[in-house]
Amino acid sequence: MTQQAPGVRIDGLTVVYKTPAGELPAVREISLDLRPGSITGIVGESGSGKSTLALSLLNAVQPPGRIAAGSVEIDGLGDVVGLRGEQLRKARGKHIGYVFQAAQNSLNPLKTVGKQLLDLGRSHGVDDLRGLVREAKELLGRMGLDGARVLDSHQHELSGGMRQRVGIMLALVLNAHLVVLDEPTTALDMITQANILKIIREVHDERGLTTLVITHDIGVVAEVADRLAVMYGGRLVEQGPTREVLGAPRHPYTKGLIRAIPRLVGDIDEARALPGRPPTLATVPKEGCVFRERCALRMDVCDTVDPRAVADGPRIVACHAVEGAVDVTVDVKEHA
Amino acid sequence: MILVVATISFFIVRSIPGDPVAANVQKLIQQGMDPRSAEQATRVLYGFQPQGTLWQQYTDYMSGLVRFDLGQSVTHAGAPVTQVLGEAAKWTVLPVLAGTLLSFLIGIIMGVYAAIKRSGKLGDVLAISGSLLHGVPQYVLGLLLSAVFATLIPILPADGPVDILFEPGFNAGYLGSLAEHAVLPVLTYALAAYGGWILAMKSSVVTVLGDDFILAAELRGMKRSIVFRYIARNAILPLFTILALSLGLLLGGAVFIERIFNYPGLGLLLLDSITMRDYALMGGAFLIITASIIVANILADLFYSVIDPRVRSGEEVSA
Repeated sequence: MTQQAPGVRIDGLTVVYKTPAGELPAVREISLDLRPGSITGIVGESGSGKSTLALSLLNAVQPPGRIAAGSVEIDGLGDVVGLRGEQLRKARGKHIGYVFQAAQNSLNPLKTVGKQLLDLGRSHGVDDLRGLVREAKELLGRMGLDGARVLDSHQHELSGGMRQRVGIMLALVLNAHLVVLDEPTTALDMITQANILKIIREVHDERGLTTLVITHDIGVVAEVADRLAVMYGGRLVEQGPTREVLGAPRHPYTKGLIRAIPRLVGDIDEARALPGRPPTLATVPKEGCVFRERCALRMDVCDTVDPRAVADGPRIVACHAVEGAVDVTVDVKEHA
Repeated sequence: MILVVATISFFIVRSIPGDPVAANVQKLIQQGMDPRSAEQATRVLYGFQPQGTLWQQYTDYMSGLVRFDLGQSVTHAGAPVTQVLGEAAKWTVLPVLAGTLLSFLIGIIMGVYAAIKRSGKLGDVLAISGSLLHGVPQYVLGLLLSAVFATLIPILPADGPVDILFEPGFNAGYLGSLAEHAVLPVLTYALAAYGGWILAMKSSVVTVLGDDFILAAELRGMKRSIVFRYIARNAILPLFTILALSLGLLLGGAVFIERIFNYPGLGLLLLDSITMRDYALMGGAFLIITASIIVANILADLFYSVIDPRVRSGEEVSA
């Protein structure tokens, strides 16, 4: 393998959707580093903007959305936000593999997996199609499937778990080293889910990938991710090493999320749902903290000032309450 | 199924008010014919035994049907109904086939554009033209075309399938005249159906465009031409069924157009047989029109299983 796992630097990314009420941000000023060879998990509720963020990595935000500001620097590709046309098409698939949600039908129902694999090869100018098929079979075999049989099958002949492995194969077969998985295990049963996560982890290690996993399921990131980023209302509210974030969450939203998970042992009533609802595109506040409506630690400053993302070692938190504890004087002076 | 239709059309003809069979026998007897030859004459007229029981008449008719014997036509000098139908069929099948396929091809291509450019001006124009044409009945279109191109600006003939000056056969003059005469009817069929195709294809493409696998193919960096093929092939599927059915339907629905352009096809034949009370021919025409719809249905189903792998069932998945 000649390619190295690429690093990704997302800086100040803002994605807006055009609505009758004007352009509303689904992702606002997000900065996030994916270190080469790491698995980063992004957690968030539905509508928090995590899928939009994932699509931004391929500069594939669908109309009526568009990337309004910021950059996504990928090693070996440059800023994908600036890529257009053929350049962009060639980057997709070849450099960046995208794995769809398992429940989605990401395959053409009329063609066998093998034929679609060949379409993919031809699209990217692969001369050695036999080699491509061999590689695909090997990858499928690696994931516990009978490669020859799967390539000969149509989508409807495969189970959800098999389709998801086919999706992973198609994302990797062109030797992409940056892989984005959007809800990779949603709608799969627990056993299959565990299997897929194990495969993701193994393939990641084996091939030396940089991986981004998008999910609403904290269990999934806890299982696979090295680093964890929590999204709320289009903002990244907290990020850091998975263990630290889950073990000692700092942002009140992260705390609430973790408290909402029922434990296997102990009283079920200990799990406490977060009060209120997540904001939608239209109800995200224009100024101030996006989480303040549901926050127990709400202060006056939260209504008017967007909390900065403050780094403390490997951890980054955007919260006035946390920031205040660390760095009160600066904050008060700035906004006095 | 076809037998059921044959049965129904037999009993419908048989139950026409006034009982034409018995009335005819009575009429002939009153005209001084002896009952036996009256029955004979009536038998020739209606294609079945007039004096047997209903059941006997039915079995006679059906056993004839199995041998493709639909009786004889009175208006065509006793020629077998099957032969008369066969003669007429070629004047219906060729223009209908040409017109439908033409409109299908153009409609499909325009439908794809209308779907892709649906938020632009071109899409609007295509969709509106489709809706307008779809709303105009076939016979109005036929009359318009014939009025404009055969009467106002007489550049095309509308007076039958071919110029009688030419000797039938494979000579340039005959074939040329054939083609020239076919322009207006084919154009009418094509224009009448085109609106439906463009609208159906547009909605089908819009549906497919929203499918996940199209976005997936784009995110895998598939070439535009390949993605386009994915869209087109998936979108065209439901239209094949409509195509087969409309081919079956048009065989019978060609009455107006054949009347306008004087095409001696099945539609005109049916019309004539009704005005002339040629019952055997009428029954035969009904039968062939219904049968063609049923056959088209079966063909559509069979064809569908060829083009859509999901319909193929019971196929052994090779290990």
